[in-house]
Amino acid sequence: MSPSRRGWIPWILLGVVAAGVLVWAVWPSGDPTDAERTRSLAHELRCPDCESLSAADSQTASARAIRRDLKQRVAEGQSDATIRRAYVDRYGESILLKPERGGLGLLVWGLPVLLLIAGAGALVVAFRRWRGAAPLQPTDDDEALVREMRTGERAS
Amino acid sequence: MKHPARWVAGAVAVLLVAFSVVLATQVGSDPRADAKKSQLAGKDAPEFTVETLDGQELTEADLAGKATIVNFWNTWCIPCREEHPELTKFYERHADDPDFVMLGIVRDDNRKAVDRWMRANGDAWTIATDPGGNAALSFGTRGQPETFAISPDGLVVGYQFGPSSVRDLETLLAAARGGTGL
Amino acid sequence: MKASLGVLALALGATSAFLGIAVLGWGIRRGDERLLRLGRRYAFMILGASALAVFAMEWALITHDFSLRYVAENNARSTPLLFTITGLWAALEGSILLWGLILGGYLAYMAYHFRKRATDPVVAWAMLVGFAVALFFFILMLGPADPFKTLSAVPANGQGPNPLLQNHPLMAFHPPMLYMGYVGMTVPFAFAIAALITGRLGEGWLTETRRSTLVAWGFLSVGIILGAWWSYEVLGWGGYWAWDPVENASLLPWLTATAFIHSVIVQERRGMLRVWNLSLVVATFCLTILGTFLTRSGVLNSVHSFTESPIGPWLLGFLAFVTIGSVLLIAWRGDKLRAPGRIDSPVSREAAFLVNNLLFAALAVVVLLGTVYPLLAEALQNRQLSVGEPYFDRMTTPVGVALLFFMAVAPALPWRATSGEVLRKRLIVPAWFGVGVMLVAALLGVHSVWTLLTFGLAAFAIGGIVRQFAVGFRAQHAAGASWWQAPVRTVRGSPRLYGGLIVHAGIVAIAVALAASSAFTTKDEVRLNRGETATVSGYDFTYVRRDVTSSAQKRQVKAQIRIERDGKDLGTYAPAVSMFPGATSGIGTPSVRTGLLRDVYLTLVSAPTDRDRVTIGIAINPMVVWIWIGGGLIAVGTIVALLPARRRAVVPPRPAAGAGPGGPAGNGDGPGDDGTDRDDRDVPATVTA
Repeated sequence: MSPSRRGWIPWILLGVVAAGVLVWAVWPSGDPTDAERTRSLAHELRCPDCESLSAADSQTASARAIRRDLKQRVAEGQSDATIRRAYVDRYGESILLKPERGGLGLLVWGLPVLLLIAGAGALVVAFRRWRGAAPLQPTDDDEALVREMRTGERAS
Repeated sequence: MKHPARWVAGAVAVLLVAFSVVLATQVGSDPRADAKKSQLAGKDAPEFTVETLDGQELTEADLAGKATIVNFWNTWCIPCREEHPELTKFYERHADDPDFVMLGIVRDDNRKAVDRWMRANGDAWTIATDPGGNAALSFGTRGQPETFAISPDGLVVGYQFGPSSVRDLETLLAAARGGTGL
Repeated sequence: MKASLGVLALALGATSAFLGIAVLGWGIRRGDERLLRLGRRYAFMILGASALAVFAMEWALITHDFSLRYVAENNARSTPLLFTITGLWAALEGSILLWGLILGGYLAYMAYHFRKRATDPVVAWAMLVGFAVALFFFILMLGPADPFKTLSAVPANGQGPNPLLQNHPLMAFHPPMLYMGYVGMTVPFAFAIAALITGRLGEGWLTETRRSTLVAWGFLSVGIILGAWWSYEVLGWGGYWAWDPVENASLLPWLTATAFIHSVIVQERRGMLRVWNLSLVVATFCLTILGTFLTRSGVLNSVHSFTESPIGPWLLGFLAFVTIGSVLLIAWRGDKLRAPGRIDSPVSREAAFLVNNLLFAALAVVVLLGTVYPLLAEALQNRQLSVGEPYFDRMTTPVGVALLFFMAVAPALPWRATSGEVLRKRLIVPAWFGVGVMLVAALLGVHSVWTLLTFGLAAFAIGGIVRQFAVGFRAQHAAGASWWQAPVRTVRGSPRLYGGLIVHAGIVAIAVALAASSAFTTKDEVRLNRGETATVSGYDFTYVRRDVTSSAQKRQVKAQIRIERDGKDLGTYAPAVSMFPGATSGIGTPSVRTGLLRDVYLTLVSAPTDRDRVTIGIAINPMVVWIWIGGGLIAVGTIVALLPARRRAVVPPRPAAGAGPGGPAGNGDGPGDDGTDRDDRDVPATVTA
């Protein structure tokens, strides 16, 4: 084994430990509990008498009523989709803080991901091209410019 | 158009123009316009249970067969106080009508303040408290005052966001009597 | 009288800006140096005029002159002096006055700083662009957002500021700081436009504006964090960031400015990314205007939209003009912007900066799209929609974690290229530290992948930062500095590098605090009779008594709550409800026991009754204080980065071995050369400015 290969050993070990920790920690431990579902639903609903806060964060009367209502609905065994629908029926779509997955929602969910992938792709292409290109040699003009700048700087 | 910056910039410029146009169409429009209409309009009135001041339970079933005005209010909200004389005047006109009910549901207030209010004002129409705020939630209220008109067959046929005048209330009642409206 | 003085001052400001534009424009056209030297002086007139206007407004506020509509709406006789003074930025019209004053300050700084180079066309154009921006704001104040409008019937008393704006002393600092940041972005913008117009697109304009961009960025960072702090201490919902349009509006230019202060280094060194950097500068400026438009024109609802006014179309027109104009300028200069340089290896500092920029751009796109989505939905489909925390959290967390990773790795990367071996050697200890922290966190019961990754990568980054400081100290020590001199010399030798690292440490602190507080907050509500005790998360809460205080400003009801833990008294805290005259409902004020590991956050759910019953909301928020500490570190780091680098006694003329136009680059990949000290020092050319 060459010395440079040997340098990788602690890194491989590190990768294994890190992956192990992550897998072990997040290994699914069963379905979400009622309390967890209630909490995550409350985060998805806008508090009707405030502007940007969710029903989970706000302390207004209606936010508290929503939290109680959610708890009850979850205990009754209603599905998340049913509960969301019930709220949209009363308050309209603007009660939901999470944009829809399809339709216009694709714009906010998809476009950033698309741009990120496109940007990453452009970077990869650029690096490939740079690797192929010959290193830039300073021309005489460049050298002259540098000399000029240096002297100018000293004068200033 | 040799340098990619040119066509990238061109595309960006087009996007920006489109974006500016979209923004321009929104100047002057009310961002919460939907708050001024009720999602319940034209649908069955929701199920609810409230508690009258003498401790009786009152549900949507008790309103069946009558033209109903449901008003959400409380003692501390200033627009509600401004609305109160209008409600009084309106109710006095129709108090004798056996097919008419007016229900004031207290939203987000405490019982003591309501009792104090009743001692001072003695509202003649039915006042009920909403423990836990479930009725307010069922009606999809965002604040107070908000007023709903319910037809005798139990449909929500009218809605007013914010304080109502006597005229608004008459319109709501007409809608409730006609069973249509809006 | 005060109104006339104010209007006069505004007219003077507008005239100065206009004359400045005319004189400079004429001077540039004729090549008349005398005119160019004269033109810049109008900056001082603008500063004087806007200062006079602000003085007139403050005078009116302090003397409670309710004949001015602005004073009648934002002041009352009972308003305490502090909030009378801060009334200047309690509403839109006054805020624009403050905006004008700060812009005047920056313009005067530009005029003074470049006094010896007033005839340089780039400087002249930059001043001209600055004057044009100032002219726009003066016209705004003379027209649609007139702060000096008078009332024909003078009320006996004013309405007072919005209760939320007279409830905490942070109001005195947060808006001015934010505006210092917002407005400061005008300086690099002016120079960028000047460079585009004159076609002098080399690195000159960058070095001119590097410092002022950094200053503006520092103010913006601190302003945003103070805003979060205000939200935490005043709004009482237990959080500090609600992804509200106003908050997003301040974050957007911060994201692009942060991208810029990283990518600008690549351009300085390698002469690359010219179009990109110009775009970032222009975007930052445009986003400050867009933010003002979104939050002040009433198109979006926001908890912070305390005022609405008819300036929407004006701001939109200005925004469209600036954005489209800049894009066309960049397109026009496209050929000159061709980047001559190249990046040698994807494993290099400059490559890491590119990835950093990609991620910051992605963040900006996410925040921008999420903020304007309701507008798009309404315009395109006539639907009313909301976007909030669940969207922003889902989208920004992965990008934030990726940024944290690059923040840990990038400072250890040398410029140009490196061998994997050097990198492995530098990173192994910090990386194991990160994994160790992750392991401990997992053992302590952290089950979220993102939280674990944040903790692990934060530790990795901190390990890297400590290592770099250690390397610097050791090098200084080896060069003869004593152990107590070494830190100072290290930092002074390369303030940009070490200032940057301090800022990074601040960001790490904030990242950890965000992850911890969003994952492990517990909330509860308890109802207590007087003398009764309840236990939540190991803390005992006892309702001691109720206090009522009345002043002309407000009537405040406090519930004194004693907090104990394991029998140890942690003090008495008093969440309160304040009633302001004229306000409909009470304004709750939370009371926070700040701790290094967790805050105990108390609110009144229902005010204490006569019969001494109270319902309090209790939140245990872990590590929130580290956000404020992180903000402090960012401020300190920015100041350090602004220190002039100590010049070396001897600067040997190094051969320009393959260096780009950015100046001589070091070689960071030689064996034994750690690349952190010599390699990252400012090149002398950038120090002189």
